[in-house]
Formats: sequence, C-alpha cells, structure tokens
Amino acid sequence: MAEADSGFNYDPTKNYDDQICAQQRDIEKQITDEQSLVSNILSFDVLKTEYQDDQVFQNKIQDIKSRYKHMRKTRGDGNCFFRAFGFAYLEHLLKDDSDFPRFKEVASKSKDELVSLGFPQFTIEDFHDTFMEVIDKVGNKISYEEFFQLYTDQGISDYFVVYLRLIVSGHLQKEEDFFMNFVEGGRTVKEFCNQEVEPMHKESDHIHITALTAALGVTIRVEYMDRGDSDKCNQHDFPDGSKPDIFLLYRPGHYDILYP
Amino acid sequence: MAGSALKRLMAEYKQLTLNPPEGIIAGPVNEENFFEWEALIMGPEGTCFEGGIFPARLTFPSDYPLSPPKMKFTCEIFHPNIYPDGRVCISILHAPGDDPMGYETSAERWSPVQSVEKILLSVVSMLAEPNDESAANVDAAKTWREDKTKFQEVAERTVRKSLGL
Repeated sequence: MAEADSGFNYDPTKNYDDQICAQQRDIEKQITDEQSLVSNILSFDVLKTEYQDDQVFQNKIQDIKSRYKHMRKTRGDGNCFFRAFGFAYLEHLLKDDSDFPRFKEVASKSKDELVSLGFPQFTIEDFHDTFMEVIDKVGNKISYEEFFQLYTDQGISDYFVVYLRLIVSGHLQKEEDFFMNFVEGGRTVKEFCNQEVEPMHKESDHIHITALTAALGVTIRVEYMDRGDSDKCNQHDFPDGSKPDIFLLYRPGHYDILYP
Repeated sequence: MAGSALKRLMAEYKQLTLNPPEGIIAGPVNEENFFEWEALIMGPEGTCFEGGIFPARLTFPSDYPLSPPKMKFTCEIFHPNIYPDGRVCISILHAPGDDPMGYETSAERWSPVQSVEKILLSVVSMLAEPNDESAANVDAAKTWREDKTKFQEVAERTVRKSLGL
C-alpha cells in the first residue's frame, strides 16, 4: 500500500514499537472476542465453507471427512497446539481412565524436575497447582459439561497452557544434547526455550510436539492439511509408530482437534 | 485472574525481601495495591552511573505474569534504552514478537517464569551496557555512539541529581 494513501510518513528516526504493539493488542483482542478458546463439536461443513473456492483444501477436507467424525476448533492465539492437546487428552482420560494413574504420577513429579533444572520454585508453583487441580478434577470424574466449563475458563486454561509450555521447556533442556541439533538461528536450547517455548502465544512446531509427547508419554496423530498437491492429508504420529491417544488437525499456523 | 496475579506478586515480594539482589530495592508502593511497585536501582560500579540511586515505578497488568509489567524511571536519566519520559525499553519487558525494531536474537524475553528480580537485574546490566541497536532515546544513542565524553558528563549530572545534590 502506498504510504501517501494512508497518510502515514515513515520517520526512520522514530521508534514505532509502541504503535505496533498497540496494533498487535487490537488484533489479539479481536481474535479473543470472535473465537472461543475451545469450540463445541463441529461438523466438517465449517471447513468446507471456509475454503469454498479452494479445490486443494476441498479435496483434503473430503479425505478428513472420510476418516473422522467431527472436529473442535481452538482459538488462534498462538497457544492452539497446547490448548488443543490439553483438551483432547483430558477428554480422552474422562472417557478412558486406564492411563490416568501413570499420567498423574508424571504430572506431579514434573515440578521437582523443573526446579532441579533451575526454574525458581515461586515462578512455577502457581502454574503447577492449577495444572494438578484440573487433572484431579478429571480423575474425580467430573461431568463433560463441568470439564468443558473448567477448561474454557480463560484464567485456568491459560495457566494450564503455561504449564504445558514449561514441561516442553524442561524436556528440551533435559535432553539438550539431542535437541540442540534442531534449534534454528544459532541459539542455545535455553535461549530457544526462553524465546519460542515459555512465552504465551508463541506457536508450536515439530520440536514442541516431540518434546511434549515424550515428556508426558502421550501419543498424538497430526493430520496436515496444507497446500501440497496430494488429495489426501499427510499424517504424522508422535512418537513415530505409536498408537495415537488423540488426533489433531493442522492447517498452516493452527491446530484443531479431530475425532475418529 | 487478578487473584492469581496478586498471589504471585506477594510471593515475589517475599522472595525479594528474603534474598535482595545487590544494589536493588523493590516493593509495592503501599500494601493496599500490589500492582504498583517502586524500585530503587543503584548505578552499577565502574560505569558512568556509579553512585547514583535511580527510582522507578513498575506497573503490573491484571494478568501478570502472563503479561509483563511496564517500568518507568521517575527521575531524569539519559540513556539509549530509556525513553525521554522514563519508560524502560528492554527485551525482557516484551514477549517475543513485540519488537518490530528488533532486539538481538539472543536477548532475554518476557515469559511467565521471568520475575521482577530478573527484570531489575536486566535493567542494571542495561545501565552498564547500553544497547544502541534498539534505541528508545535516539539522542542518547547517538551521544553514546559518537561522543562518550559528553555521555559521561550527562550521566554524572543525573547521578548527582538522583542524590539530590
């Protein structure tokens, strides 16, 4: 867009951080107002409408539709992978609690591991407390409605997401020798965690998913719906060759939940 | 989430009182309002700010520590990373992506496991080593880069002023 049109003249001696940050806040607010943290169950028709004139996506939606019953959307706020993961896995535990004792044990122990990695206790305590409260409620067999209400409470949900991020950070740092090979931009694993994992709203990549599934012993299948030529979605299981507990749909920059 | 923020701020205050970092005092302006803190920062030794005591305000959002606080010096201070009105502009006060001007890629960022203590320690390092790449005070950055003697003089004046001399 031409600068004259917007009445804006760039002044290279000025610092525009504030204005740009304010604009970013506006965009975030709009997303918050328009999208729920986790939606109700939806049919794939919503995707069909979104990609009305896009044959590549229409074919892939058809492929997903032939293998899955329905989906659930998550808010596109950069936390969607973690939000989707937490919801789908806890919902899975509500239906089938055979993995609950193991998962709870891993979850409770995780705090001491983070402390031993050097996270100051007072910075992680509140997040771990909320994380365990939610897990305990699921263990106490709350109803689906109660669970949905709990998990879509912004405060609780965000604290749950923060803690999942910390688990990923802890795992990456613990297995630094391995993960350092996958960190881009000449950064150390610790720098990567500080910049790409621990802050809210930073999007997740393969490396986050690999670390989270390994740390918690939970298996995921991701269906990739992208602009690739194929009529079908590629899929990837984390870890490779496992039987998935939960299913996620990836579209560039975003994760939603799938139900077979 | 103001309840969670308050709980965390009280924990941080306790932590800072029990193990105060060298050259830094910080705490709520009054116990009625934990979302507004005052900090006193001593100019780091061996720098042109040595000997000064610089007061600043920290304002915490209701979703702290998901979002970072804002920090503003309430005294006169001429520094590349401090706006002329006193606002502090360093990477740890920003989540990644909040810096179109670009901080160094290795720069420490805000995340919920950072803390007031980490911020204040970063501010002390910033006083010792200005970063003229992402300048909040263009004039100060230019002086720092081109005329160290003048920068030194201005700094020494603010040091005396901060002590009420």
